[in-house]
Amino acid sequence: MSRTRAGALICVLALCAYTLVHATDLVDPDLVVRNVERHIDLQSQLTKITTRVILDNNSKDRAIQRFLFCLDGAQRKSLSYIAAHVEPGKLELKVTPIKTAEVDKAFYSIELASHLAPRRTLTIEVETILTHELVPHPKQIAQQEKQLVKYTGNAYAYLPYAVTKQTTYVALPSRNIESYTKIKPVSQTGSAIAYGPFEKQPPFAYEELVVHFENNNKFLTVTKLERTIELSHWGNIAVEEHIDLLHTGALLKGSFSRYEYARESKSGQASIQSFDTILPAAASDIYYRDEIGNISTSHTRIKKDSVELNLRPRFPLFGGWKTRYTIGYSVPSYEYLFHSGDDYTLEMRLVDHIFDDMIVDEIILKIILPEGAHSIQLELPYPATRLTDSLHYTYLDVIGRPVVSVTGKNLVENHIQSFRLKYTFPRLLMLREPLLVVGALCLLFLLVIIYVRLDFSIDKDEISESKLRIAGQCEKILAAQDRRVTSYNELDDQLAYLKTNKDANAFLAAVKGINQEYKAATGALNEIAQKLKGESGDVYDRVQELQKCDRSLKELYNQQQALYVDKLVPGKIGRQQFVEAEAAIAKKKEDCVEKINAIVKSLQ
Amino acid sequence: MVSLIKARGLRMTAQKQETLLKLTVLSLAAILSFATRLFSVLRFESVIHEFDPYFNYRTTKYLAENGFYSFHNWFDDRVWYPLGRIIGGTIYPGLMITSATLYRLSWLLNITLNIRNICVFLAPLFSSLTTIITYLLTKELKDSASGLFAAAMIAIVPGYISRSVAGSYDNEGIAIFCMLFTYYMWIKAVKTGAISWATCSALAYFYMVSSWGGYVFLINLIPLHVLTLMVTGRFSHRIYIAYSILYCLGTILSMQISFVGFQPVQSSEHMLALGVFGLCQIHALVDYLRSKLSQKDFEILFRALLIVVITISCTVGGILTITGKISPWTGRFYSLLDPSYAKNHIPIIASVSEHQPTSWSSFYFDLQILVFLFPSGLYFCFSKLTDSNIFLILYGVTSLYFAGVMVRLMLVLAPVMCILGGIGASSLLVTYMKQVESGKVVDKKAKKFESNYVLRSEIATFFIIVMCVLFFSYTLHCTWVTAEAYSSPSIVLSARSPDGGRMIFDDFREAYYWLRMNTPENAKVMSWWDYGYQITAMANRTILVDNNTWNNTHISRVGQAMASSEEKAYEIMRELDVNYVLVIFGGLTGYSSDDINKFLWMVRIGGSTEKGKSITEWDYYNSGGEFRVDKDGSPILLNCLMYKMCYYRFGQVFTEGGKPSGYDRVRNMEIGNKDFELNTLEEAYTTEHWLVRIYKVKDLRNRGA
Repeated sequence: MSRTRAGALICVLALCAYTLVHATDLVDPDLVVRNVERHIDLQSQLTKITTRVILDNNSKDRAIQRFLFCLDGAQRKSLSYIAAHVEPGKLELKVTPIKTAEVDKAFYSIELASHLAPRRTLTIEVETILTHELVPHPKQIAQQEKQLVKYTGNAYAYLPYAVTKQTTYVALPSRNIESYTKIKPVSQTGSAIAYGPFEKQPPFAYEELVVHFENNNKFLTVTKLERTIELSHWGNIAVEEHIDLLHTGALLKGSFSRYEYARESKSGQASIQSFDTILPAAASDIYYRDEIGNISTSHTRIKKDSVELNLRPRFPLFGGWKTRYTIGYSVPSYEYLFHSGDDYTLEMRLVDHIFDDMIVDEIILKIILPEGAHSIQLELPYPATRLTDSLHYTYLDVIGRPVVSVTGKNLVENHIQSFRLKYTFPRLLMLREPLLVVGALCLLFLLVIIYVRLDFSIDKDEISESKLRIAGQCEKILAAQDRRVTSYNELDDQLAYLKTNKDANAFLAAVKGINQEYKAATGALNEIAQKLKGESGDVYDRVQELQKCDRSLKELYNQQQALYVDKLVPGKIGRQQFVEAEAAIAKKKEDCVEKINAIVKSLQ
Repeated sequence: MVSLIKARGLRMTAQKQETLLKLTVLSLAAILSFATRLFSVLRFESVIHEFDPYFNYRTTKYLAENGFYSFHNWFDDRVWYPLGRIIGGTIYPGLMITSATLYRLSWLLNITLNIRNICVFLAPLFSSLTTIITYLLTKELKDSASGLFAAAMIAIVPGYISRSVAGSYDNEGIAIFCMLFTYYMWIKAVKTGAISWATCSALAYFYMVSSWGGYVFLINLIPLHVLTLMVTGRFSHRIYIAYSILYCLGTILSMQISFVGFQPVQSSEHMLALGVFGLCQIHALVDYLRSKLSQKDFEILFRALLIVVITISCTVGGILTITGKISPWTGRFYSLLDPSYAKNHIPIIASVSEHQPTSWSSFYFDLQILVFLFPSGLYFCFSKLTDSNIFLILYGVTSLYFAGVMVRLMLVLAPVMCILGGIGASSLLVTYMKQVESGKVVDKKAKKFESNYVLRSEIATFFIIVMCVLFFSYTLHCTWVTAEAYSSPSIVLSARSPDGGRMIFDDFREAYYWLRMNTPENAKVMSWWDYGYQITAMANRTILVDNNTWNNTHISRVGQAMASSEEKAYEIMRELDVNYVLVIFGGLTGYSSDDINKFLWMVRIGGSTEKGKSITEWDYYNSGGEFRVDKDGSPILLNCLMYKMCYYRFGQVFTEGGKPSGYDRVRNMEIGNKDFELNTLEEAYTTEHWLVRIYKVKDLRNRGA
């Protein structure tokens, strides 16, 4: 939508061209307003006026480019939203405000483009929404009284053109009408009042129209809305809204009686007990709280295309009562965040639904982008003020996350439109945070390792040091012992192999290597044992014992080997004899092994 | 065939295994002690509990936002209207400084924790630390096995949990840690006699003083320990160094807390410490002289010294007490020594339920098997007396006495119960565990003696099974107590609805938030002092009296207003410049700790001062001597302001089927005065379940109207 930009351009052009002339000079004499039909909808707290205009182009050869729409001074201040479209087909038309010298009138130029050809007729509809126009009258009511409001407006269309024929319809929420201005012809049927038709009215026709009627609908204003959208590239968008609510209806007079409020249905009809907020369908992890904690009175209904949240403030809101709360939820980012390469586009609503027919006096929108995002471009659906960017620091941030802030005033439901935020974010930066955690943990472990491994004390503790040395030597001894155990195991394998295939030569060749390994291990063990001698006699003795046992074990292995190589392979021994001899060796070996195991355990 | 074992690989040495086991048990205990305190957060929300924590939370927030100096100089005009209160000088700031430091630190690292969450989770965090410090302390006193037992026990002991669940943001939450930490340092100092440890214990003591008024217990217990050591002839240079340094440094440091001020040298509660300090010097001097002089000379000198010292100290003490330099014995201290003192003399102290004497059942409720393990632990301490064991015994016995006097001091007893229980359990188990396997180890010589024991291993196994069952029951009991009794935030109430679902009564916050949003910024709210802290913290409105009951007269004035007739009360309220009055009323829901049930205390406190002489408790009882709100009640009660505010328009409400309208579900009677109007007040707000009712004080009537 480049409407805003083009609009602004036209506005500037218009300003340049007509600085010295009145806006009324823009009125095209060939444009005839044949019929105006106005519908003033006062059923809610808003004033929704739909003006249906039938235009004739009286010129012979040129299309008329522009239709001027006008608001009087009072309306100008309360205008929230204005839009126009061509009637059949609902084709949107550009509406741009025109700056004029007149303070009591506001002009809007509706660009007709080429729709109004010479000698043709065109129907357009202008929709305006005005806020805070319904004034409670009386200003104060008691708890059980109904709320009466007064609307003051214009009975005629306020246009810079002469209007051939016009009618005004007023729609009210109930049949209870206290009074209304009687401008003939007028008729009332049920909750509707019809004025007109009025023939041939001059430009800027004005006659005060006052309707005083019952309206118990929600008179609730969001005086301040702070909406924060926090974007995470890990798949989540967190939305949080801080909402200040004010009941702008008739003030409560006298006391509030809980007894009557609970018992009588009529009591507190103008008060607001709860309202519905519609959240996006994907909203999850919803919370509803305020400064002092969670508000436990809310219900969610999950619908097909939305999540409906029934919110009950802590207390019912009567006229003039305020409350403030926070609502937050998460939505998955894939629905709102699009990217090609490192270029991202976020498309989300500038303001979201809070309650039906809402009025938002002021909004501050903050969009928190991931750390490292740059080249930020913001496209807004309607004019709003962009505030200066700032930085936001949260978990694992170093340089801060860029925050884009926008503020707007006087918004209604029709302003629920999407903004578009483009930015560049190198995707590799996503790895920064996990790496930061990994790095920090590594550093921590490293520090612990350094602290545990190094000795920081300034005095020497001989006993514990020698203990540590002995423990180190024991470790080494056990390692050497392990090497020996490996060689024994290999020997066992070789013996078993020899037993089946009876190849003595291959066996002897293999054993040579094993024996070498064994000798090396035993030598190492002896060496360490010698070192230990001075340090700890007890350990030295045990190692000696170990060596002794090991020697006898080795001897047994030698016997077994001799039995195999010298007797079994040449076949010099009977089967029975061999089995007996082998069993005897095995028994002795077992004893030896048990002893060695006991010593090894004691050394651990 | 037996194969050779490999020594290395994944196997660890016994020492490493022990370290691993210790670390695992200890860290599990620490995690457990954090986790078991989270019931209320999971059931309700991360919210501050009860009354005092709200004040602490409010001040912490102030400190975190405005920095230390403005906190220190903070004159709060929102409380005790029109007197105000100098917050910085009348609190123990340790708790606030701890959480504000954590808050600042986390924000420095860009960890954007909410200050409320820090406050909520501070107590569980510190109880984790307490678990670790208990281990260290017990290890120092006995051995690491007992330490592990004690750590595991203190992790879940209800007596401590009651004051340290998540959200219970009170001084006690960190004070127990500080206390044990000081003890640990003290024991270290006593054992080593090193200046560094004694200095550390003085610093720990400073932290303790800054965080809780209960430091008085500590500064009496340590001198008592020293005194006992002197009497038992165990006094040595180590103790001389440890105590002298602790006393000097600790006293100077503690005087830096403005709330403590000159008390350590003036008030009688601290005199034991000073006396023992003097005695230490004399003892050291005497020891020195004895080593230098002959026996005869020494005796003459000793006698002379004794007489002079006693005379001087008596004279000085007497003069100071008479001139008021040494503050008179305060009420709370008297009630420690004599449980009936407070009830008879100071109604405001007696009115607090946690100042009541402890019942027997609550000992079992809060400590369970520790009650039985405690004596056995004491036995094992006595059987092998050391300097540090004597400390433990003293700590156990004195805290047992104080816990019996005041429910609140159960908190001080719980850690020593765990330590002694841990020592007892571990010593018992060590004794029996050795016997379980003894059948296997065959030693011919030993067997002769052992044949005297029948079924040795079986009995040992049985005993260990019994212990295990006890531990299981302890765990179950603790979890149950924590879940049922100590995890309710009391600011949000929950009840079972008839259909089995859970009903939440959030009326307190409803009312406070209404006050916050819909009354003028400078409105003054009058309520009974119980709700003062909550109103200032949650409603952010000025109040007349709060839980810091420092001005009896002011509270009494509020009590008088509540107890007077409407016209009389109006005068008092005009005098006090009150805009709104808040009462708690449970008659509709059956919430029993409401203002009507507290009303007699208001009458007593209201009548306790000169201005409230006309109010006597007996006027509020009927002729039969009963306190009733129905037709038989005393007419003065039925027409006083409190009654009218609670029951305004209640006479028309039907609360229970089959009962007449205006049936009070707490007192179980139909109210006696149903039909009345309020002339000087108007109902401003009543919460959904009528728990809180707020009235607006009308302006004076226009002349002639």
